Amino acid sequence: MTTQPHEKTLEIRQLNATLPNGMRLLRDVSLTLEPGEVRALVGESGAGKSMIGRAVLGILPSAVVHSSGDILLEGQSLNALRPKTRRSTVAKMSALIPQDPLTALNPVRKIGPQITDPLVRIHRWSRDRALKRALELLERVHIRNPERVINSYPHELSGGMRQRILIAAAFAPSPRLIVADEPTTALDVTVQKQILQLIRELQRETGTAVLFVTHDMGVVAKISQKVTVLFAGRVLEDAPTEAIFNDATHPYTRGLIAATPTPNATAEPFRPVPQDLIAQLQRDTQAEDMRFYQGGRK
Amino acid sequence: MVDATMPLRRRRFRVRNLRFWIPLTWIMMLVLAALCAPLIAPHDPLAQDLFLERLPPFFMDGAEPGYWLGTDSLGRDVLSRMIYGARIALFVSVIAAVSTGIFGSTLGLLAGYYGGWWDRVISRLVDIWMAFPPVLFAVLLVAVMGTGLTSVIAAIALIDWTRFARVIRAETMVQAHMDYVDSARIGGARRFTTLVSEILPNVMPSIIALLMLEMGIAVIVEAILSFVNLSISSDDPTWGSMIAEGRGAIHFAWWVLLFPLITLFLTVLSFSTLGEGIKKKFDPVLSS
Ligand SMILES: Nc1ncnc2c1ncn2[C@@H]1O[C@H](COP(=O)(O)OP(=O)(O)OP(=O)(O)O)[C@@H](O)[C@H]1O
Ligand SMILES: [Mg+2]
Repeated sequence: MTTQPHEKTLEIRQLNATLPNGMRLLRDVSLTLEPGEVRALVGESGAGKSMIGRAVLGILPSAVVHSSGDILLEGQSLNALRPKTRRSTVAKMSALIPQDPLTALNPVRKIGPQITDPLVRIHRWSRDRALKRALELLERVHIRNPERVINSYPHELSGGMRQRILIAAAFAPSPRLIVADEPTTALDVTVQKQILQLIRELQRETGTAVLFVTHDMGVVAKISQKVTVLFAGRVLEDAPTEAIFNDATHPYTRGLIAATPTPNATAEPFRPVPQDLIAQLQRDTQAEDMRFYQGGRK
Repeated sequence: MVDATMPLRRRRFRVRNLRFWIPLTWIMMLVLAALCAPLIAPHDPLAQDLFLERLPPFFMDGAEPGYWLGTDSLGRDVLSRMIYGARIALFVSVIAAVSTGIFGSTLGLLAGYYGGWWDRVISRLVDIWMAFPPVLFAVLLVAVMGTGLTSVIAAIALIDWTRFARVIRAETMVQAHMDYVDSARIGGARRFTTLVSEILPNVMPSIIALLMLEMGIAVIVEAILSFVNLSISSDDPTWGSMIAEGRGAIHFAWWVLLFPLITLFLTVLSFSTLGEGIKKKFDPVLSS
């Protein structure tokens, strides 16, 4: 493929998403992802992290309206495409590592075709070539018996195995962009580390840009170069990871960092983000909503 | 702990298997009887013989050898009529259930997955349809189309497609919200492909269970319509017409009523039990 090196892998411009009742889920969200870059997307539960990933991948829930803004993949505006072309463009360039490896695989279909389907469908590979690629990737994610796994059903495999398979499936078509939506949250603590390590290795090897959704600041420090902090669907802070940890501009971000339990200080009391700060942010959000709705009515 | 639970588990496993194998054996026997009726029926099901009327079954005094389950008021062999009756019962139930199932499930899948306009139209149609009293519907239909098996099958399909549509719509809606559907869409699958190759296999066990249930229902409906003389001509051996005839002679020839009735009952029961069994067997998660 022909790609100008200066082009951003992902660019989200002023994205807004609302529910039919007017509730705003994403508020003017903008962010960019350079080729090969890992950007962490952090924020508390319900902040809209998954919603951003879903918007990029074109799987917003049917109730959610993408009300304004645009998403560009390697400079290609998705708004400009017809739905069919849009689907194949997104499928060609991006992939997902989902949160729950149990439900992300179809329970009544074998693993093999679930990995090879997109390769055959979108990239027009032959079945044989796709199968070879699947086996290669399964081996790469340290699955011991790829031939057997390919003919297994999801319920025959452990959670860690399934997540490895989903990682293999995500990297198999060599996408430019991977959205990883809390890929370790549903796993055992011991498995979490291995999975995270695996994603990091593969990301480095392939140079894929990753939008990494998490609420674990420890993970952020390990994996990402940039961080976007989200609150109530709004970007509070967008900065290089180092800068965030050294001197975050926003008190909420500082709260998040302080709230992260550090491994070498387990005795230290757990400090959540101060309640009054969250209350203040919620008031700000409401005030902004008021202005937004009044502005809209004019 | 492991030792204590093992026997219980094994026993439960066996009971579940029996509930699968017994009805399956019964249905297979019926299928065999229906297919080989001319070979295995001891007599012509239509042959009347006034010298042999109301012969009792083999285990009673006065039974004639060769007339295992006795004869009816016209001297026709009950067993032979039941064997030929299985032909009609199975023919009607398979054709009726499959056509009902295909029609109803297709609408259910479309309404459940596409939602919106599709769902509004199909759901409204189901509601309106279900407001009609089904028996009146069947009788009306047969009155318009005339008696015969085609009308019986049409009546069953026209009444019962709503069951498929409702159940499959609900199941499809549940499946449509599963993450694997999103995975398929991210992998570039079109909506129709997603519906057919991702969602359909997941609702298939339910479709099969409903099909089995529907076959049982079809057997009953055919029997009822035969009973009230709205199916094929009353000379033809159907379980329903046998029951209708046997009713008149219940005091002096109870076997004419009882044997077809038991057969009907066992068949309907087998179909519905088998449906549940198959549903469990098909489900890779439940069956492991
Ligand atoms: N299908 C849906 N229909 C309507 N609203 C939804 C739907 N899914 C999520 N939301 C709302 O959108 C908002 C953002 O949800 P989102 O899943 O993006 O949060 P998140 O940041 O990923 O949180 P978490 O850490 O819990 O995954 C929440 O307020 C949620 O209530
Ligand atoms: Mg989420």
